[in-house]
Amino acid sequence: MRALILNGAAEGDAAVEFAGEVLSGELSGMGWDTEMVRLRELQLAPCAGDFWCWVRTPGMCFVDANARTLTEKVVRARLLVLLTRMTFGGYSSELKRGLDHLIGVMLPHFTKIGGEVRHEKRYERYPSLAALGVLRHLDQESERIFRTLVERNAINLHSPAHAVRFAYDLEGQDVLRECVHGLVAKAEVER
Amino acid sequence: MIERALLLVGSPKGPKSTSDALGGYLLARLAERGIETETLMITPLLASEEGTQRLCTAADWADLLVLAFPLYFDTLPAPVIRFMELFHAERAADGRVQARSNEQRLVAIVNCGFPEARHCDTALAITRRFAVESSIERAGGLALGGGGAIGGKRLEAAGGMARAARRSLDIAADALAAGKSVPDEALRLMAKPLMPAWLYSTVGNLGWWWQARRWRAHRMLRRRPFGD
Repeated sequence: MRALILNGAAEGDAAVEFAGEVLSGELSGMGWDTEMVRLRELQLAPCAGDFWCWVRTPGMCFVDANARTLTEKVVRARLLVLLTRMTFGGYSSELKRGLDHLIGVMLPHFTKIGGEVRHEKRYERYPSLAALGVLRHLDQESERIFRTLVERNAINLHSPAHAVRFAYDLEGQDVLRECVHGLVAKAEVER
Repeated sequence: MIERALLLVGSPKGPKSTSDALGGYLLARLAERGIETETLMITPLLASEEGTQRLCTAADWADLLVLAFPLYFDTLPAPVIRFMELFHAERAADGRVQARSNEQRLVAIVNCGFPEARHCDTALAITRRFAVESSIERAGGLALGGGGAIGGKRLEAAGGMARAARRSLDIAADALAAGKSVPDEALRLMAKPLMPAWLYSTVGNLGWWWQARRWRAHRMLRRRPFGD
């Protein structure tokens, strides 16, 4: 089963990179066919907001080949892991630059889910969503915002399950390993 | 009291966007009250070092920042986050974050393509954290649902549908010009649905088909290019 890690580390962010290495190694050890995409290394223009991935070349970005490849990787994954430096309670701009290109995995058409209007599914199956937020220290307000954001993304992405964990700078490999196992176990248990 | 207001438009559509329409209306009302104003588009400026510097210099110049952006994937578009990262780093580097010198104020205006304004709550919470962490005083966050119905039209030309949004921004301008925060009444008016959700969804679904027809893609709107 494929696991895709979207690594939103900024240049020189050693703590997020370290978390990414542990994450990748642990997922592979658990039998996942794992790929990590470092978004800062990907030539990817910001989403133009033109909706052409809905109305001109449905399901694919019309403009950017790397955005098309990224979308395909997400669609083919069974587990999508978002790795980010927590940025004001949300995602880093590097990670978000990738996520902004994913709206084509949904249809433009509206439907109601949980009493709110959302977009219909394009595909039969979507990956479970796991998110690992890296912080300098405990920040309950940021963590609350982040949990809500991931939960809402999971609804948007029609993910069968989602899980959120936090890691703090300077934490060792053992703590991170435990964190990754907890994250994946929760995403799998809820499938 | 404020003297200088800067509108930062976070939509990649720039001056044709609903974000610009909402922020521009507010800025015009502030200008009528004698406040010096400037408008910048975030996305194209971030494409160069010179533009990025211009963005940060202008943000330093203003004592009121108006951040207007669309909701992308339940949160802020990447370029808006990038601006916030850069501006926060700049304020931290010259000691303003540590000094807690709340000499600037921030008001956020978010619009989303879903009819319910509450989709914007998380994005507003993130702008609140940005303000807190950057020692900027938050003057309020306005959320509009059904932004697609405005579709980048100037609010003055958007008819009765945008009446509550205009009233909201009139009230907000009065308060902000006087150095106060956006009153709850303005927040409530902005969040008022432009039309019933069922009507918005029905018209929206037809609209997607119509837009796709322009590209002869209307028969493949539901295709799955990457398998099942």
